[in-house]
Amino acid sequence: MNPVIIVEPSPDTPLVWFDIAIRGGASADPRGIEGLHRHAGLLARRGAGRRDRAELDETLDAFGAALDVAVSRDAVTLSGLALSRHLDAVIEVAAEILAEPRFDEAEHERLLRETPQVLDEIRDDDSALATRWFDWLCCPGHAYGRTSLGTEASLAKIERAAAIDLWKRELVPGNLVIGLAGDVDEAGAAKLAARLVERLPMTARPEVALTIPNSTARARRVTLVDKPDRTQAQIRIGHLSSRYGDADTPALAIAEAVLGGMFSSRLMQEIRVKRGWSYGAGCALRRSRLPHWFEIWMAAGIDVAGPAVQLTLELLADYSAHGPTDDEVDFARSYLVGAMPFHVATSRQRMQLAVRDAVFELPPGYTAKLPEALASLTSSDVRAACKRCLAPEAAVTVAVTTAEQAQRALEAAGAGALTVVDHDEY
Amino acid sequence: MKQSWHREAEASIGRGVTARRFRLANGLGLISAIDRRAPIVALQTWYRVGSRHERVGATGMAHLFEHLMFGQTEQLPPGEFDRLVERTGGESNAATWVDWTYYRLSLPARDLPLGVRLESERMQHLVLEHTPVEAERDVVTNERRERVEDDVDGSLDEQLMAQAFTEHPYRWPTIGWMEDIRALSLPDIRAFYRTWYAPNNATIVCVGDFDEGALLDLVASHYGGVAPAEMPEAPHILEPDQTRERIVRLPKPIATDRLLVGYKAPGQDDPDWAVLEIVATLLAGCPSARLYRRLVIEREAASSVDAQLTPFVDPSLLRLAVTTARGHDADEILREIDAEIARMVETPPSRGEVEKAKAIAETDFWTALVDVDGKAEALGHYETALGDFRKVTTIAERLAAVTAEDVARVVRTYLRAERRTIVIAQPEDPDADPDAEGDATDEAGA
Repeated sequence: MNPVIIVEPSPDTPLVWFDIAIRGGASADPRGIEGLHRHAGLLARRGAGRRDRAELDETLDAFGAALDVAVSRDAVTLSGLALSRHLDAVIEVAAEILAEPRFDEAEHERLLRETPQVLDEIRDDDSALATRWFDWLCCPGHAYGRTSLGTEASLAKIERAAAIDLWKRELVPGNLVIGLAGDVDEAGAAKLAARLVERLPMTARPEVALTIPNSTARARRVTLVDKPDRTQAQIRIGHLSSRYGDADTPALAIAEAVLGGMFSSRLMQEIRVKRGWSYGAGCALRRSRLPHWFEIWMAAGIDVAGPAVQLTLELLADYSAHGPTDDEVDFARSYLVGAMPFHVATSRQRMQLAVRDAVFELPPGYTAKLPEALASLTSSDVRAACKRCLAPEAAVTVAVTTAEQAQRALEAAGAGALTVVDHDEY
Repeated sequence: MKQSWHREAEASIGRGVTARRFRLANGLGLISAIDRRAPIVALQTWYRVGSRHERVGATGMAHLFEHLMFGQTEQLPPGEFDRLVERTGGESNAATWVDWTYYRLSLPARDLPLGVRLESERMQHLVLEHTPVEAERDVVTNERRERVEDDVDGSLDEQLMAQAFTEHPYRWPTIGWMEDIRALSLPDIRAFYRTWYAPNNATIVCVGDFDEGALLDLVASHYGGVAPAEMPEAPHILEPDQTRERIVRLPKPIATDRLLVGYKAPGQDDPDWAVLEIVATLLAGCPSARLYRRLVIEREAASSVDAQLTPFVDPSLLRLAVTTARGHDADEILREIDAEIARMVETPPSRGEVEKAKAIAETDFWTALVDVDGKAEALGHYETALGDFRKVTTIAERLAAVTAEDVARVVRTYLRAERRTIVIAQPEDPDADPDAEGDATDEAGA
């Protein structure tokens, strides 16, 4: 089986971007060994073929190039950037990383020592900490609730052999989505893509079965992540919702824009403009291969954290029940259709959207064609999607703040039973 | 209307894109660059006013306008500005820094006339009344809490500038001190608007898919009749030479020490600025950089290292930001930084090492010019901060000309302990007196 190949040529600058997405991602980490995909991806980047980590870094830097590994729930992606005159050489390095990673023992051990420090950095960052707790608590048991970074306990179980096995299993042409964009023509890009996979084994693409529990029957609940000296509360509110790409996606795009996707949206107007409670407030349906969270975020002053949560839940309940008005639907449709050219303005943007669609197993051009789907939607369609896909009665709230000042107000916010955890508890 | 424009300058800013500067009799500048690769335009209005133009006790004023300028005008009711832009699918935003403020509209190409009308309206007819000003004041205080009070990196950054500069306005934060934000008076806010928001203090930058003649007509029709303002004398405050290292330590609820080290560096128009940009890359700007390798890979004493040179008009800082690894501390990191800088002086980088940094700079140069917004930002910054948009390429040429000898010289000149300020955030002592929490401690260094 061949890889999916996407090419977006453009001679605007002497640069070429390429993304090599290895489908699977952190959601496919073995239970209890969370962080394995990230570990394998980063380790592969630390030496391949005849080059150890230092030689590989020197080689790429000498070309002014970059090769970075990113891990999402759905894919491990090797992203490259090169001046077009060095593209051949940089592709060769990328091909070696894919086919001949060294997985050096010393780098394996070093990476195991480094990763817990990334956990420290998340703990030190209130917004990242709120997101991490929300991911854990939003839908217990869901594959996306497991951390892509791992935990101290799961990292301790990662073995070098498991990373090597993962690479052998997942690095097959049929499991890859390869995108190239920029100063490269179609024929040249096809040859480069062929070079990237020519040394990979032609075995079958691995199957990954993921479970998605239904959490909508659960009641509201709130977790206060207690951290000293806060002046604000980093707040996340949401629940499991639908899959990006299912029949409700166009209607939910409009619903999301009206509630929290624009400056004119309800949340921004009610929380920021009318009350000045938070610098920003918004919402989004997380785009992923599987059903993912519908999530609202804000950073409210600690003195108004309780009222901000209460108001947000009231807004969400009202919105779920009644949906947007006709005028709001027309406005959001106009915004979303008009905004699409900005999302596909550069070759890199077009390539990355197409790669993402392929990783999500959507038809080619799905996202770029969404404006066509929006055109035929009625207000009733959007209101029906709000009823189906928003679940205010099951909303999970996470607030990173100082319990001493905020706990009582959060308990009174109508967000459900409150649990306090320490910010170090993770 | 075209005859009312004076064409001043022209330069290529990449493959197939030429930028031209025009000026109206009232002093308004316009930089036009046609790029038809997508049916969109970036319309930015740059004002030569930033936090350096504020006064002690009224800091945060320039940034407050970044919020107020989206409010009511004589022609537009509250909220209408954003609604008009969003209905097109466009976006609006703004940024304030020490030397400038700019307002950004990203619009479908067909809506360029709307953008020009909106920008001219808010340059002339902003309504500044008590209620909307108070609402935005609350928003800004929350923005400050999010980005400074509750953000360790934000608070370190603020302290670094406050300690490194004793006289120059770069010493106060762009967002302003909290007590100043709360105290800004409505008469002062109105006076600031009348002083700085004028055509002779602004440059419009338009990049994208449009007809240049039509743009010139459009801008002239909306701005041609706007009277210029009398600009105050530019404050010219010289920061005294720093002759002693300054160190401040702050207790924070963090896991490991974090530190910012700021070495006094020249302004962006100084030829040495480009050399220091190469030095920053050699120290921590790529995976094979010297300090990065030493601290993160070889010693495993840090989890992250970053080096940045601020692009300010007046002399500013080359900043090293380090997060220490578990079991290590800031003092150890400082010793390692000193050792690496000493090594850079003793063993200057090879020609190959410098060429590596120059290749990275070339990639960065093109990356910044990939889309219409990036092109407009580059043009606007160089025009507003350095007086000429063509310095986009001047800086690139300077970077390409840097030699290993240049690098050795500027390291010796600028990266000296007595020219630096260090701010360290350290994990709070759980047994410490709670009343003492948050207080900084000062140390005089070498």
